Amino acid sequence: MTEDRSFTKIQELTYELRVRDAMVADVITVRPKQAIHDLRDMMRDKGFSGSPVVDKGKVVGLISIEDFIKCLAQGEMDVLIEQKMTRDPVTLYADEPLVHAVKKFDQYGFGRFPVIERNGRKLVGILTKGDIIKCLLKKLEVEYHEEEIHRYRASHIFEDIVADKTNLVLRYDITGKDFDRAGQAASELKKALHRLGIQPEIVRRIAIAAFEAEINIIVFTDGGQLSISVCSERITITASDSGPGIADIEQAMQPSFSTAPDWIREMGFGAGMGLCNIKNCTDEMNLVSEVGKGTTLEAVVYLNGKS
Amino acid sequence: MTLEEISRTIEAEVITGQDSLKTEVRIGCASDLMSDVLAFAKPDAILLTGLANRQVVYTADVADIHAICFIRGKRPDEETIKLAEQKGQVLMTTRLPMFVSCGRLFKNGLTGLGYLDISKRNDRG
Amino acid sequence: MKLKEIVEKLNLEVATPASDLDRDVSGGYASDLLSDVMANSREGNVWVTMQIHQNIIAVASLKELAGIVVVNGRKPEQKVLAKAEQENIPVMLTGLQAFEIAGRLCELGIRGNTK
Repeated sequence: MTEDRSFTKIQELTYELRVRDAMVADVITVRPKQAIHDLRDMMRDKGFSGSPVVDKGKVVGLISIEDFIKCLAQGEMDVLIEQKMTRDPVTLYADEPLVHAVKKFDQYGFGRFPVIERNGRKLVGILTKGDIIKCLLKKLEVEYHEEEIHRYRASHIFEDIVADKTNLVLRYDITGKDFDRAGQAASELKKALHRLGIQPEIVRRIAIAAFEAEINIIVFTDGGQLSISVCSERITITASDSGPGIADIEQAMQPSFSTAPDWIREMGFGAGMGLCNIKNCTDEMNLVSEVGKGTTLEAVVYLNGKS
Repeated sequence: MTLEEISRTIEAEVITGQDSLKTEVRIGCASDLMSDVLAFAKPDAILLTGLANRQVVYTADVADIHAICFIRGKRPDEETIKLAEQKGQVLMTTRLPMFVSCGRLFKNGLTGLGYLDISKRNDRG
Repeated sequence: MKLKEIVEKLNLEVATPASDLDRDVSGGYASDLLSDVMANSREGNVWVTMQIHQNIIAVASLKELAGIVVVNGRKPEQKVLAKAEQENIPVMLTGLQAFEIAGRLCELGIRGNTK
């Protein structure tokens, strides 16, 4: 992961994660009618640096170590917490995205926010800036680690598996006329090839060719298969279907020849560029078809220059 | 231009990808035909299109395009927006027609790919 | 602005020599979706598209568009061009992409159809 990408990833996470994921749930609370001197023991025993003041389950204020020190300086240890606390403190909802919390820390400059339930406003936790950073780092580490493992495993497959010939085949079943899912196979394939550690430029060419082949199967046939065979020197795309076949292959290869119905054109496909796109993206392309039987398209991209 | 400047220039509302608005793009690609996008698009391009289906997102993903602006007030459905989020794409929508959007962005410095010869496509990078 | 001025300034190739270029252009419209052009283009618009299917002539004729600029170096088949001449719809070609042609048309002062 590059620095740039991990930065974006952190930003994404602040939208994905909720306050609940980062907060500390085990909150030490005090009551408004307790005296300030009660805080002394809490500080000593529990490392207190600030606490929500709770009355009947609801947050009514916030008392901080700074408030305590002021009272200590002025000899006001017997006054009630409710007289010294910050009333109606700004709170966060447990289900808010973390990015809201980040904004509130910036906006108010407070060290901590009590976290409450949206319904019932019951106190459920407390959140400091440190908690947010800890949570993000943990999550980032897990995700980074997972992707690393995927990539490592996938990109070493050809070294790990010792055989005279290793050939990895990815097969996608394409449902005919299912335009809703059109593009999904190519998009998934692209991700898989990235994980295999194939050069981005080659991944792009294969994905474009596969996308066009996928669209052709969906638009013109009742279904078929898209197979991508990866070995150490080349990637082969095979798209096959069982009907209706192409009558004149030479004509079909003309840029702009198309038999696509109007509705397909209105969906953004069928302008007669598909086969040309496949041809332009790959090193070799071969199309075999028999009317009434089916069509098989094979296209090859060499990984280390053309052999 | 940054995506932020683009959204301001064509009065576009950002649908998803708020965090990536500092990203710079150089090329404008105006098309409603996805094969055209696959054939010619470059990674530092923004795609302007009047289609708002899932295939636009898949096409952009496969073509390494990271920003899409829907024109004439088109807006994709929730599932498509979610898909774009997964793929890390910025989506925006403007009420302006394609012609006007291109005009404003061209005036502000986005370019096309110059003269194309159809037999020499740029898929080879 | 007259269509023939646009042809000169943007160096467009006229694929329908028999069509009349001495006509006023009311504005520009860019789209590859025929239904969209049917719904939203206006009389006298110059239409920028990469579609070369013969239906483009029918749409342009029906909507009384000033002409069609086909982008990306594409060229409609001869029978499509013949139909265009018959309907007196000028078809012009360019190797530029739709984005740039629309940009340059705007630069020449051609406006879009805003409400």
